[in-house]
Amino acid sequence: MNKQTVISAKHLKKAFGKDESIQVIYSDLNIDIYKGDFTVIMGSSGAGKSTLMYSLSGMDKPDGGEIYFDGTDITKLNNDRLAVFRRKQCGFVFQQIYLIDKMNLMDNVVTAGVLTSKDREEIKNRAKELFSLVNIPENTWRKTSSQISGGEAQRAGIVRAVINSPNVLFADEPTGALNSANSGAVLDVFTSLHQKGQSIVMVTHDKKSALRGNRILYIKDGKIFGECDLGKFEQDNIERTEKLDQFVKEMGW
Amino acid sequence: MKLRIMNKISTLILHNLKKAKGQYLSFGVFICLTAFIINIALVLAFQTFNAYDSLFDRLDTADVNFIIPQIQDHKDLLAEVEKIDGVLFVEKHGGVFMPVTVREFAGSDFDMNTVFYNLDEERTLNRLDVTEYSGKGDSSVSIPMYMRALGGFAEGGSITYSIDGREHTYDIGGVVQEMQYGNYGTGLIGGYFPGAVYEDFALEYRDHVIAEYSLKISSTADLSAIKNTISKMLKETGIALLNINDRDTAKQTRTMVCTLLIVIFLALDAIILAVSIFLSNFRIRSAIEDELAQMGVLKAIGYTSHMIIASAVMPYILVGIVSTAIGIALSYAVLPFVADILAIQSGFSYTPDFDIMALLIVILTLTCAISLFSYLSAGKIHRLEPINAIRGITGNESAGQNILLFIVSFGIMVLLSFAGTLLYNVNVKPDHFMNTLSEELPSVIFTAEDGKMTELKELLENDSRVRLFMEYASVSVSYEDGGLTAFVCEDFSKATNDICYEGYSPVKENEIAVGNAISDGFPIGSEIELTVGSKSASYIVTGYIQSVNNAGLVCQLTSEGYEKIGDTTNCVNIYLYDKIADEFINEYEENHDAIIQSSVNFEQMSENGRRMYTSIVSVIVMILFIISVLVVLLVMYVIINSMISRRRQEFGIYKAIGYTNRQLTVKTALTFIPVVAAASAISVITGLWYLPAINNVIFSLIGAIKNHFEVSVWILIAFAMMFTAVAFGISVLLSAPIKKITAYSLLKE
Repeated sequence: MNKQTVISAKHLKKAFGKDESIQVIYSDLNIDIYKGDFTVIMGSSGAGKSTLMYSLSGMDKPDGGEIYFDGTDITKLNNDRLAVFRRKQCGFVFQQIYLIDKMNLMDNVVTAGVLTSKDREEIKNRAKELFSLVNIPENTWRKTSSQISGGEAQRAGIVRAVINSPNVLFADEPTGALNSANSGAVLDVFTSLHQKGQSIVMVTHDKKSALRGNRILYIKDGKIFGECDLGKFEQDNIERTEKLDQFVKEMGW
Repeated sequence: MKLRIMNKISTLILHNLKKAKGQYLSFGVFICLTAFIINIALVLAFQTFNAYDSLFDRLDTADVNFIIPQIQDHKDLLAEVEKIDGVLFVEKHGGVFMPVTVREFAGSDFDMNTVFYNLDEERTLNRLDVTEYSGKGDSSVSIPMYMRALGGFAEGGSITYSIDGREHTYDIGGVVQEMQYGNYGTGLIGGYFPGAVYEDFALEYRDHVIAEYSLKISSTADLSAIKNTISKMLKETGIALLNINDRDTAKQTRTMVCTLLIVIFLALDAIILAVSIFLSNFRIRSAIEDELAQMGVLKAIGYTSHMIIASAVMPYILVGIVSTAIGIALSYAVLPFVADILAIQSGFSYTPDFDIMALLIVILTLTCAISLFSYLSAGKIHRLEPINAIRGITGNESAGQNILLFIVSFGIMVLLSFAGTLLYNVNVKPDHFMNTLSEELPSVIFTAEDGKMTELKELLENDSRVRLFMEYASVSVSYEDGGLTAFVCEDFSKATNDICYEGYSPVKENEIAVGNAISDGFPIGSEIELTVGSKSASYIVTGYIQSVNNAGLVCQLTSEGYEKIGDTTNCVNIYLYDKIADEFINEYEENHDAIIQSSVNFEQMSENGRRMYTSIVSVIVMILFIISVLVVLLVMYVIINSMISRRRQEFGIYKAIGYTNRQLTVKTALTFIPVVAAASAISVITGLWYLPAINNVIFSLIGAIKNHFEVSVWILIAFAMMFTAVAFGISVLLSAPIKKITAYSLLKE
């Protein structure tokens, strides 16, 4: 079965700094992201995983190359059009969660929802469904991020990210700041969303998190150094773990 | 489209409002204060002068009035005046004109040129608005409002006029509001008798009976030209011009304090508005620094820069509009009291009304200023890349709290130094203040009996209580355009108040210094012809003198110079070492009755004048003090609050390693002191230069071109120390929330 490409990036260039202190992250990177995939980007620290993800999502502009997102070259969009593009096409989950502090969970979600819908009630009803899906009880909806656990906050962050039914959900180390129990719960939400057909791009250096993906990309030396398909294995299958272990070992992890 | 955007960002706006309630409250208080003061200033500016004009019109006040001795009046004069170009209507009134001493005017004798009128005389022009008239009738006099407001007289009481050594006591039958004279500054004041009383009075003082010509002129006519024509006409026909006044100079004199107040209020307002804008600017920049990641997230989830900026700016605009409305409403509660205070000096009263124009100007000015400057502060959001924001990279410098604190501290010190200098010169060095607003300030003025001047001077020479004495008198003279009050002195080098702001006071008999009102028409070195009765003489202008009274229509002449056109003056200004004027006068009147014709306790008069200005200055100073403390409090609140919120983690760490709350509170408060102290110190040093400049600008507006204010460096140092100490105290109080920060809570966050 041919997969439908949702993001296609060609000849991407990105560097930080200037002149002698310049640090080239990638100079000719090509990557395709497919619809319905749970793509995991792995790599060592400083390899440019997050930089690549933020370029693909229109959060950051590459220094060169093209990024076609659903057929549109987003490198040509100005800041305001990029904002409109992101609200319609992308959802973001951050390592530090970044819920708006002192704003309750429901309002955090509504704040994102109102960008694409005029009907606040409709947004709230959808938010309630999603809160149920991620196991956040009703008595927590009116709490602020400082009144709940990190796991709950991150799950609320996921609700905010998917409230507008994004084409692609981007996650940057979503379990990086969580303990093991909370990490598991958050990853379950990602798995559940993937099973419902949500395209996901996740950056992680955590193998447990990476195991949730069906397509693993390894970035090294400014290129997609290797790719591993875990889709054919069941989630709890030991072979899935072994396959990933072998892959990262080959990549020099 | 805009509504849709507003709908999208309404949650964010509400969130921002709720999140920083204290910050918006402090901003709101500032804007409320700004709106409060600016509305008072604008309502006064729009309505006082209009109310003046309206009362002027309602009472059909003449544009020009001139007074001549009735004995010199003739039937053709009326027709000749009517023929003057621009004159629409002329009406003649009778009256009795003379210098009068009012006894117990605010507890002292008060000398003023007074015209007594017949209250029952039919009038088309210069009609009188008699309020509180009890109809006492027979032995009553109605007094101008100025005498009630400042002199302390009231209906039902009595008033004693001393005229040529004779005492006349009358019941006060009513208070008259009129727009012809009004206050002491206009140089003349009225007294109003019922018909029968007037007839008796006019008979008793038949030599002083005058004819007053009141002229209504066309709106396009040149007031000065008409006054000039009248003066020439009278001179040519040998008629003495006792007094000539016009609507413009009367208005300028009577609204002097109002003008001063408006200028001070508007200047004050500019400072508060600048502080408010600095505050909102500072707060928005701090918010951008503090909530950088959240702004990045908002951009990430699809908010455009315009939407984020709008959500940051809208709370300020909303708070600004509400606070402006509250400030305007509060100003209307205070305006009647301000109008009452102004009535003391202006001699007419009115009740300020709601003013739509002031309202619109205040709302538009403040809303535009808040919107513009908030938008400019938030403009940085445009340049913020979402990924950089999330990573905490602003690419810009810090919010500059020290610069803000320095500017505010310096601004407050300017205000405090101005207020302190004003207070110091009114209360501690009253002579400096009074010298600015008046001429000589002797302790006592004696008028010697004819031929007894030498004898009086010998007595004074040998009196050890007398510090200084000199022949000095205020007399009326005429020049081509009207009347002038001439200060006649035997030797101006002896004068204690140098009111000459350019050139020099006359030394020779053919020299003259002229007042600020006519200085433009008479360059130094030019000649001016003065007339008294049928005698005239020319004088060379040697300098300019200032006077906030008599509308600046004054001049200085040497005694010899004046004697060329007038009689010898018999007045002596006496300056005593101690404040014993009352005792001194009693003793001289008792022991030297044959020498002293009349006496004036000028010490008491100065005190009355000082009391009037003290009450007005006290209100201004009190407002300045309250505003200064509020500004410091609010600015410190915003800065400290913002700093505590930004450095929560640091404070938590300090606590974890053993710092006490007290140590951290004092440490925080002390971080602001170097900036406040530096601003205060610079303000003290520069104050010696800028305070005289500020005083010069403000007081020159009311005719005091050269002010005698002393800028005391000790007062400035005391204020600087006090301000620094208050700022430290406020900082300690406002740093109290540090107590609530715990190391544990930070870990939990």
